[in-house]
Amino acid sequence: MKRFLIVVLLLIVIGVGAYFVLNRTDHDDGTAPVIAGAPANADPVARGEYLARAADCVACHTVPETGKPFAGGVAFKLPFGTIYSSNITADEETGIGRWSDDEFVRAVREGVRKDGKHLYPAFPYTSYTQLSRADVLAIKAYLFTLPKVRQPETPNDLGFPFNQRWAMGFWNAAFFRSQRFEPDASRSPEWNSGAYLAGALGHCAECHTPRNIGYGLKHGQELAGQELQGWRAYNITSDPVHGVGKWSDEALVQYLRTGYAQGHASANGPMGEAVAHSLQFLKPEDTAALVAWLRTVPAREGKDPIVVDPAPKAVVASSAMAPGGDDPSANVDGQRLFEGACASCHQWNGAGQQTPNAGLAGTRGVNDPGGANVTQAILQGVKMRIGQTDIYMPAFGHAYSDPEVAALANYVIHHFGGKEGTVTAEDVAKRRQL
Amino acid sequence: MVTLRVNGEDRQADVPPDMPLLWVLRDVVGLTGTKFGCGIAQCGACTVHLDGQPVRSCQLPVSAVGDRAITTIEGIGATPEGTKVQQAWLAVDVVQCGYCQSGQIMAAAALLARTPNPTDRDIDAAMSGNICRCGTYVRIREAIKQAATGQPNGLQVIVDGGAA
Repeated sequence: MKRFLIVVLLLIVIGVGAYFVLNRTDHDDGTAPVIAGAPANADPVARGEYLARAADCVACHTVPETGKPFAGGVAFKLPFGTIYSSNITADEETGIGRWSDDEFVRAVREGVRKDGKHLYPAFPYTSYTQLSRADVLAIKAYLFTLPKVRQPETPNDLGFPFNQRWAMGFWNAAFFRSQRFEPDASRSPEWNSGAYLAGALGHCAECHTPRNIGYGLKHGQELAGQELQGWRAYNITSDPVHGVGKWSDEALVQYLRTGYAQGHASANGPMGEAVAHSLQFLKPEDTAALVAWLRTVPAREGKDPIVVDPAPKAVVASSAMAPGGDDPSANVDGQRLFEGACASCHQWNGAGQQTPNAGLAGTRGVNDPGGANVTQAILQGVKMRIGQTDIYMPAFGHAYSDPEVAALANYVIHHFGGKEGTVTAEDVAKRRQL
Repeated sequence: MVTLRVNGEDRQADVPPDMPLLWVLRDVVGLTGTKFGCGIAQCGACTVHLDGQPVRSCQLPVSAVGDRAITTIEGIGATPEGTKVQQAWLAVDVVQCGYCQSGQIMAAAALLARTPNPTDRDIDAAMSGNICRCGTYVRIREAIKQAATGQPNGLQVIVDGGAA
């Protein structure tokens, strides 16, 4: 009995010790590499504005079209419930107006808010932990120059045990390391800037890296692609078949700056937001740095890999104005829907005519037999502003039934991807809920 | 200030770059033949040509036009296909209320420019995006065939002696 108690005591001591060791805070202020858009000698507020954009704070902290930037309240529907982003305006009552520098830095880099409670990692402190203190405080300085918005937090809708914030300490012990950015001296300064822009600021991995059963990032599968909130964040490793290894530098730059790369991709959904709110505002040097870094991400196949057919039979046989090459008996419903609602902008050969963004040929969306993003685009449409141009596609979610959306998605996958789509009416019904 | 080449003439317009081309054509340039229908690129009433390609002007920001030549319903009669389509439209008396018809004619002219002898299937594929609330689809198809072949194809207007 005595021995048993000693073993139990020992295990508790080891457990508590491990908890604190794994949750230790990196007390280093951290140093950021040179970011062209936020030079160290610039005004902190201007730096903060650029860095806040590069970190895409606005996308999660602003409900669109409310005219209340950074006031929070955006819903994140996760498998275990819905959580809402917080108000990060300088309002004293409902925002972060009374937060000290240290408190703000701790929240951003350690995921612990002013009252000492844990934040959920929907807020990507797991990435922001790499930020330098100077950069975090520049962002705070910028936020404090903006209008204060009085808007109380929307309470999260989480069931037990997920509503227990203290439990995130254990999640952190398992999946989070407090660690500043470590430059790689063997790489160019440009690469290091890119690594910081992608890892610390842009938090690409939060969407593009698969997650494990505990919702932690699978670092061995970094950037190999993941589905979240009903959209597929594609494989962006250097894999030539399944990733972006075959894209030219110009195509990657064009995509990051405009959301469109001819014959490769047209951003919509969450990536459309990332381009519209964040990436398009990067200085060209910073975009180039991102691309230099992206090139070095080890190639991985990822789950449900997508193989793009560069010249599907039907695309080759179609002209801009008339379809060709489709199996005449297959999916007549889908073709009829495409003909009436889609062809006049997308064209039968997938070139796209209203705007190049409407080009479907060669994109991973139409080459994904599961049709996640095609279905989402049909249901939700596209609305984003790039430069001075609105990129717009109507949402057809209310116009068409689930079987119609499924038929249309499968036709698009067949015609433009040369593959048999597997979208069912049930899939569409599920995606409507996301 | 943007310069647009509309129906062969240069037109200046002092408009915001994100203004849809349809607004510029109707409200600034003053060419009101092109109609506003749904406003979301779904009905086809606002169809104009950019370098001969039919586009939905209600959803095309004027800044995206660039130096491409714009042809509207006011200028389509000056093209060979436009002339044929207009004559056939009169001969078959396609129009009922007329609201969608400038878009229909623009789509039909673009079709004939690419496919001089369209099949029924070609016509369906090219014209499906142009909606007509009066249901003139049968006459539209007939008129397109007549414009293509130059031959009356049934459905002629009895009172129009010239076409019979």
